[in-house]
Amino acid sequence: MDKPTTVKSASDGRIFDMVVNSFAVLIILVVLYPLIFVVSASFSDPAKVLGGQVWLLPKGFTLAAYENILHNGKIWTGYRNTIFYAAAGTLINMIMTVLAAYPLSRPDLPGRKLLMVIITLTMFFNGGLIPTYMLVKNLHMVDTVWALLVPGAIATYNLIVMRTYFQASIPWELQEAAHMDGCSNWRLLWNIILPLSKPILAVMVLFYAVGHWNSFFNALIYIRRESLYPLQLVLREILMISQSDAVDASVGIEDKILLAESIKYAVIIVSSLPVLVMYPFVQRHFVKGVMIGSIKG
Amino acid sequence: MRKNWKSYAIGTVVASSLVLAGCSSNSGASGGTAPAASSGNAVKANGFPIVDQPIKLKMFTRTAPVNGPFKDMPVFQDYEKMSNVQVEFTEAPTDGFQEKKNLLFASNELPDALYRSGLSQLEATRYGAAGQLIPLEDLIDQYAPNLKQLMEQYPEIRAGITTPEGHIYAIPGIVTLDAARTDKKWINQAWLKKLNLKMPETTDDLYNVLVAFRDQDPNGNGKKDELPMTARAPVAGQGLPILAMMSGSFGLDLQFGYNINLENDKVNIWMGNDRNKEMLMYLNKLYKEKLLDPEMFSQKEADYLAKQGSGNTGFFFDQTNNNFLTIQDQYTGIAPLKGPHGDQLQSQGAPVARDFGAFAITSVDKYPEVTMRWIDYFYSDEGSTLLRFGREGENYEVKDGIPYYTKAFIDSGNQSKLTPYAGGGAPHLISEKVASFINPPQVQEAQKKLDPYMPKVRYAAPMFDEATAQKVNILRNDLDKYYEEQSTKFIAGALSFDKWDEFQATLKKLKIDELQQIYQDAYDKMKK
Amino acid sequence: MESVQAKAAAAPVSRKRQGSGLLRRMAKRYDLYLMLLLPIAWYLIFNYGPLYGLQIAFKNFNPGKGITGSEWVGFEHFRRFFESYYFKRLLWNTLSINLFSLLIAFPVPILLALIVNELRSKSFGKWLQNITFIPHFMSVVVIVGILSVFLSPSTGPVNKLIEWLGGEPVRFMESAGWFKTIFISSNIWQNMGWQSIIYIAALSGVNPQLYEAAKMDGASRLRRIWHVSLPGIVPVIVILLILDIGHFMDVGFEKILLMQNNLNLETSDVISTFVYTTGILKGEYSYTAAIGLFNSLINLTLLLLVNRFARKTAETSLW
Repeated sequence: MDKPTTVKSASDGRIFDMVVNSFAVLIILVVLYPLIFVVSASFSDPAKVLGGQVWLLPKGFTLAAYENILHNGKIWTGYRNTIFYAAAGTLINMIMTVLAAYPLSRPDLPGRKLLMVIITLTMFFNGGLIPTYMLVKNLHMVDTVWALLVPGAIATYNLIVMRTYFQASIPWELQEAAHMDGCSNWRLLWNIILPLSKPILAVMVLFYAVGHWNSFFNALIYIRRESLYPLQLVLREILMISQSDAVDASVGIEDKILLAESIKYAVIIVSSLPVLVMYPFVQRHFVKGVMIGSIKG
Repeated sequence: MRKNWKSYAIGTVVASSLVLAGCSSNSGASGGTAPAASSGNAVKANGFPIVDQPIKLKMFTRTAPVNGPFKDMPVFQDYEKMSNVQVEFTEAPTDGFQEKKNLLFASNELPDALYRSGLSQLEATRYGAAGQLIPLEDLIDQYAPNLKQLMEQYPEIRAGITTPEGHIYAIPGIVTLDAARTDKKWINQAWLKKLNLKMPETTDDLYNVLVAFRDQDPNGNGKKDELPMTARAPVAGQGLPILAMMSGSFGLDLQFGYNINLENDKVNIWMGNDRNKEMLMYLNKLYKEKLLDPEMFSQKEADYLAKQGSGNTGFFFDQTNNNFLTIQDQYTGIAPLKGPHGDQLQSQGAPVARDFGAFAITSVDKYPEVTMRWIDYFYSDEGSTLLRFGREGENYEVKDGIPYYTKAFIDSGNQSKLTPYAGGGAPHLISEKVASFINPPQVQEAQKKLDPYMPKVRYAAPMFDEATAQKVNILRNDLDKYYEEQSTKFIAGALSFDKWDEFQATLKKLKIDELQQIYQDAYDKMKK
Repeated sequence: MESVQAKAAAAPVSRKRQGSGLLRRMAKRYDLYLMLLLPIAWYLIFNYGPLYGLQIAFKNFNPGKGITGSEWVGFEHFRRFFESYYFKRLLWNTLSINLFSLLIAFPVPILLALIVNELRSKSFGKWLQNITFIPHFMSVVVIVGILSVFLSPSTGPVNKLIEWLGGEPVRFMESAGWFKTIFISSNIWQNMGWQSIIYIAALSGVNPQLYEAAKMDGASRLRRIWHVSLPGIVPVIVILLILDIGHFMDVGFEKILLMQNNLNLETSDVISTFVYTTGILKGEYSYTAAIGLFNSLINLTLLLLVNRFARKTAETSLW
């Protein structure tokens, strides 16, 4: 590629903008088309979706899928529970992750390397389902909300990303200077590091919250009471109908299996809308110059 | 009788506590309390209630997505009053059931019994050997008259559930109704009539009929959009449905739930045989000429059901006519097709003991006799009616001695919520007395076409000891996968029949002979 | 203050000469250890506590006898895996899918983040982010459902287009040759927006003064991307790359399993689906654990190698 060398040539900027914009438009089209399909399919007659007749707009418009989902009483309990798990879980996650990520980002912490090795190894080795279950059971967390909050308190991946951000984006000299002024590490973290790290904190809140929102396996294993089921478990149960045994047929099972075809599209919409709404709030923190602003202010 | 029972009970308690002491687990509580509990409140040998003073049992069960809570089901409400046994179900949804079941045993948090537990043969053998499941053969003998009678009537049941050591650790769901165990061969008779064709009787006839379906526009829309023939998509490790459906026309049987012919007491795994090659070549011809559904190897269940209901399909296989009820007159069942060597056999079909491992009793159960009597009721027509149909009047009415769901109940949409059989795998008897819904006249007709061609005995998968079961498992993992993948490729033309020798050689390399010997040994042992 | 910052962003972290005794250095920073107390305790209890379960890879696990009570069988399960008829195919498919993903799918979110960063219209940028972010929330069941609708030989728009152009319809979903392309590109489609978030966040942390300075020097926008934006997020890129390579042997099994059929098995058969069908579904804990351990060891080795390489060349590493 030719690298234009002229200083502030207007044409350079314009061509560049054109290229960038057309790429962006192309990406939007490629992503948007299947999304429209999902929305259309959720409002369509399942037989028409299966027959390949739906490819852009709904065919055989019906609200049956949504009615089926929203009339399931468990959905609302599931929503409530999931919101609680996501909120409480993310709070715990953020506290624990920051508490670990910040000290580990400090180049002057003796034993940092060893601790990082200990933490990284857990990404590769785990005891498996049974010992973990026994542990949770012995801590009397089975069938309580704690089983969904505590065992997943830190995601190592997120911890490492956060640590990297602290390390790369916050000048070490700045921290040293603060130390000179007699600032304790706690105050340093609270008053300087965290305000300077809003973008990564926002991303981590998003990652953790979405993780809680989508997770079902721990609930599957640890939760027995239906009143504690998260949304995903309820939705999975609805979708499972499509895998029902056709051998011991019950009344109307074929219709239910067919309906599950369109339900699966509607389920996506019902379950992901609340999370989609979250993103603009997160985005707000991706503003350039956060660092300058908060230091000066 | 009663004295007899007492000594027996103490015997099992001692035996099971010995087993428990032998392993490292710490469920000591079970052994000590049993005699005290059983002495005051004796189980009755027959009649109801089973016990005079109410007792409580804890059972772990699977609920299908279509089911409601078990406590709301008429069968369990009424049976509790009748038997004086209160059952508290721990319900695990189908999703995650397997994991939860494994964790029960791994963490030794055992319930009294497992209901609708879908235990595999290996699981039953393992947990039985570890002492977590108790042997049931004596209990069946004394406290399960219905089950015992069925086992005498169908000796293959016992053969399929007894370990080589002679123990029974789990009770199966039993299906004496033939029609509930076979897939019928449904052909589009409306198309046949329209094109003036005879019912196909041989595989060659079928080929000609399918060609006509493809070319002569039987649906009359002027387009060549008919689907001449389709079948269920394969599930990894469970064989190709299309092969199971067609194998009988090529002299290939499916004994022991596997690709096995049984000839003069000799077990023959036929995967590498020339007859099998003939079958694959026949199917390849159908596939090549677009007579066989090209989506057959990747379609979803919903796709398959939709094709049945569309009326635009010529020939397919299914157990019931539920999926095309609205256009049922368009289809009719036919007999197995006569193959090039004159073979005509309905080799596809489940054994009488269809659902292995449907019910089991654990070592912590203080009332194993009561539990056995409790479950035995469902192996009678009366008990099964209660389970499948609910309350007379409210849920069903009797016509000609056979229960039918009331229209109000069907229209309510609650049928599957209130009957624990919906979703499969419940421990009970399915006979023609309780099958009005799954066995309507059209299905009975179709079954009659198959009846003359059913194998005399259909052996269920044999029980191996734990080590052998493990070995079979390892051998079959590679072998079945290889067979399924290569068969599909042969049919779809992705693999030429020039490679047949190579295919046979690989089967040998994957130790097909060793597997055959294992099945032979199991069969010999069973015969003795 | 400002000069300190500019210097910091440009220069790598400099280590000051530290105190004499290790203990004194540790005591001086006791509050940092205090912060770590809870997280480390959590790691020890919830990750290292259950680790004794690893031994089942060398045992014939019998749930009835418990983990410690089951009998030892040594490397039996490993041998069974290595001797499996399909071992080579599984290994090759797993490795090649990951290699292609790394080469093709890894850079896409970075490019997307740069595009978002360069768009003049900020609201358009936000739209782009919001839309590309959505597919992440679709379950794989639906993704595969969409794929089979779109790629259907008889009714799918893609084959309609091919026919319109005079070609023969392609059975994409049943073709061994197409499997990896479809799998990887649909992964990109689903995850690029989500994965770009981290880079977008990192880009917003780049000091704007550096852009100003580059502009002053007369650098074109492409050069500014190359000399300011990219260096600003290199640490994040490197770390994510290391973490990705640390999962080289893992491929999510759910999506592949849904796409798998006997006709594409030649290229779609991977270790994770093999573990699922022959281990997990059949309750073979020991076999599953052994294969898992084998994967982990390879993953760890790769991670150590690439981490060492990154420390030397990019001055960023996990420790």
